[in-house]
Amino acid sequence: MAHTKLYTGIFVVLMAFSTIQAVVEMTGLLDRAYWTAFGIIIVLSTIKAALVAGYFQHLRWEPPAVTYVALGGLFAALTLTTAAAYSIL
Amino acid sequence: MSHEHDHGHDFPPMSSVKRWFITTNHKDVGILYLVTSIFVLLMGGVFALLMRVELFSPGLDFLSTAGAYNQAVSAHGLLMVFWFISPFATGFANYIVPLQIGADDLAFPRLNAMSYWAYLFSIVLFMISFFQGGTFAGGWTMYAPLNVPTYMPNVGGTTVVLALIMFVAAVTMGSVNFLTTFYRMRAPGLRMRDLPMFSMSWFLTVWMMLLAFAALLAALMILGAQHLLPVNYFNVDGGSLLWTHLFWFFGHPEVYIVFFPALGVMGEVFQTFTGRRLVGRKWFVLAMVLVALQSFIVWMHHMFLTGINLEIKTLFMVTTIGISLPFDLMVFSLIYTMIKGRIRFTTPFLFCLGALILFILGGITGVFLGAVVLDYEFRGTYWVVAHFHYVMFAGGTALVGGIYYWFPKMTGRMYDEFLGKLHFAIYFVGFNLLYFPMFSAWETPRRVFQYDTGMAFWHKVATVGAFMLGMSFLIMAYNLFKSMVDGEEAGDNPWEYASTAEWAVPSPPPLENFPGVPDYRGGSLSFRDESELRGETAADGGTATDGGTPAAETSAATGATASGGALATAEQALATQAVESEPDHADHASYWPVVVCFAGFVAFLGLSGIRTGDTLYYGLTATGGVLSAVGFVGMAQESFYVPEPEFAEKWPFEGVENMKLGMWFFLASDIVLFGGFIGSYLFLRVANGWEHWHHAFIPEAHVVMPGLINTYLLLGSSFAVVLALVAAEKNSSRGIVASLVATFLLGVGFLVNKGLEWQHLFHIHSEAFPNGWNLGTNIASSTFYLTTGLHGAHVVVGLIMLLYMVPRALFGAYTGEDQDSLEYFGLYWHFVDIVWLFLFPLFYIL
Repeated sequence: MAHTKLYTGIFVVLMAFSTIQAVVEMTGLLDRAYWTAFGIIIVLSTIKAALVAGYFQHLRWEPPAVTYVALGGLFAALTLTTAAAYSIL
Repeated sequence: MSHEHDHGHDFPPMSSVKRWFITTNHKDVGILYLVTSIFVLLMGGVFALLMRVELFSPGLDFLSTAGAYNQAVSAHGLLMVFWFISPFATGFANYIVPLQIGADDLAFPRLNAMSYWAYLFSIVLFMISFFQGGTFAGGWTMYAPLNVPTYMPNVGGTTVVLALIMFVAAVTMGSVNFLTTFYRMRAPGLRMRDLPMFSMSWFLTVWMMLLAFAALLAALMILGAQHLLPVNYFNVDGGSLLWTHLFWFFGHPEVYIVFFPALGVMGEVFQTFTGRRLVGRKWFVLAMVLVALQSFIVWMHHMFLTGINLEIKTLFMVTTIGISLPFDLMVFSLIYTMIKGRIRFTTPFLFCLGALILFILGGITGVFLGAVVLDYEFRGTYWVVAHFHYVMFAGGTALVGGIYYWFPKMTGRMYDEFLGKLHFAIYFVGFNLLYFPMFSAWETPRRVFQYDTGMAFWHKVATVGAFMLGMSFLIMAYNLFKSMVDGEEAGDNPWEYASTAEWAVPSPPPLENFPGVPDYRGGSLSFRDESELRGETAADGGTATDGGTPAAETSAATGATASGGALATAEQALATQAVESEPDHADHASYWPVVVCFAGFVAFLGLSGIRTGDTLYYGLTATGGVLSAVGFVGMAQESFYVPEPEFAEKWPFEGVENMKLGMWFFLASDIVLFGGFIGSYLFLRVANGWEHWHHAFIPEAHVVMPGLINTYLLLGSSFAVVLALVAAEKNSSRGIVASLVATFLLGVGFLVNKGLEWQHLFHIHSEAFPNGWNLGTNIASSTFYLTTGLHGAHVVVGLIMLLYMVPRALFGAYTGEDQDSLEYFGLYWHFVDIVWLFLFPLFYIL
């Protein structure tokens, strides 16, 4: 099940999104609208991570339970981070 | 208790000392855990008695050396919570769980042995800490900033932090192993929901362990770094609060990690000695699942006296009160089981009944602490000490019941019932004399040896109780040792109504557990012939899965049951096995686990004192490092056969082989580890002002470009790994080698670029940072270097793996079926890539 073209396409998208993230900073969008730029950059990172996990790590072709295992770890990490940060706001 | 006839395979008998160093068999490892943890109980108990002597009257000055009382309190807490109670349960789990679920062993036997040896050597490290200027003296919760070198300057304090890191490594290896076993190696027909109570409790425990201990690992690694490197974390604005968040995010699930196995023992024992199935078993299990989930959203009730806001305190008060509700259900289920059944007051039952009573007291007194207003009054007093011990030691009480319950299975001998009951009577009276007076003397400040003279009476009673409780274990020791030698033969099943699979095999069980394939699909446990099952599978076109055939309501597991003429009794099957050729028996011996863990111990011992500049410590670190490398290569090269069961329930992971699933569990724990590091950075940034951070703490020279280049390099390396897999599918050795070499070079490029960037930042000279931007310059530099450094360390580990893989690929490895290990490496490498995809924006752009 070689998907060489698909993998290459995803690699190109990953490189392009990384470049866009840097461009957002270099164009000064962060200085003008920090939280908008923040949102764009984090969403791009999330899409990139999902692409790597889904295709390079083959989660797309594994039983969904494997994805749930990874999401379990992610959920724990996000719970700790968000609740801890909120506790001092 | 020996089964020398069990498949020789050059595997030494139980009487051989060598066996205990090389064994990977789950029952042996279980016994090693049990014996070692009981030794720790003895150590922790001695420290408790020392404290109680000091507290016999105020100002007794028995522990007169500076800091001796603080060290005794800390050592007692750390030993009991970390190195005794959970490993004690791990011992039972190792021995019993594979038997209960119908597996021949755990999924990764060598990893299991490594887990034990890492545990053992972490204890040795802890013990050495006493001789390095004193051990850690900041309490078992290790609150900041007391835990940093400024206030804990002795080398022993650092050693304890490293010992805990090694212990957490052991726990993580165990969790990954058990989870893979539970999901992939259950007997046909055994659905997850039908797991026996002890196995069910352990299944939920290891899930909690996997995620909670990873958060503790993050905390400990940061603390360890603060002991070894000039970084600032727990000593800056928000640092103390950060420690409490990280510690209690682990610490509260830890309460249930400790208590769940005890609940499992209580479930088994109540069923066996009331002769009745647990009332509301389904709801009992659901309640446990609910508690396991809720355990991750209650941790801030340990922080009501800190500066966290009122809204979050209120929210966590609600979740805390909420978590007591499923426990109410479980308690009532146990009580109704007694009412509906016919109780036989054996020693295991008495201990479990005692545990229930103690837990009810501990639970009720804990509700007080869950209420914000009451907690303001009770926090830091002996109310907490009493409540805490009524809960945790209630768990310990049920586990003592577990010793008596499974002693006949492990040894083949019965214990003396009278001595068992005598032990219980003195234990129970001693326990309550020790801890109940603490509720009366609740105003005594916790962790302090001086107290108001008006409370002296209660403390004297408590000290008397402590000695009674401690001495009661001498009766147990005498009873068990004597019974092991000349106790009555126990037979396969000495308990009339025991219904789980461990009682269907001889006592002690043979090396490979079962006389055939355990099978529940007929409605009760039977042992099937493998070749016959193969024939059935071919005829049916597949095996049943979890969603298919209902499994046994295991009432008849006390022996093999005849059905359809297809089954063999235990004895028949053993006889058949003896005459069959044995070409594919699993291996049970490897000395590499002890070698690798010893190497880790030497390296950690070296690291503990490296900041003293002593060449001995440098030498130990280097020796441990080299020995570790030798150990890992030796283990990788060793031929060690572990068959995956052909006939087993694998829902919901059919088609995901054991190794791959194990890797995913490890990655889930690694996600939490990085989550702890990244979360710490985000927390400290919020604490110091999110946008202020960038302007105040980051130099102009810290720009986006090095991060972007590294992103390109790492993405390129990930793509190269993908191409290696594509080449493997095409059986192209050259393609594999080229892709792996490209991965390696890109990974090295990543590290070189990072090194150049760091060098530049270390040596900048600006108005704001005249002496460079170093590890300890400010909180931003510490979080940057440590978090990206942890990631860099992951890259280094990946590169070391590649150094092993490239030469193998040159000789034709990783083509055909062998490509799996290439995929496992890929899973790791891509994960490291994913982490960077978030580090890049967080540390370079935002």
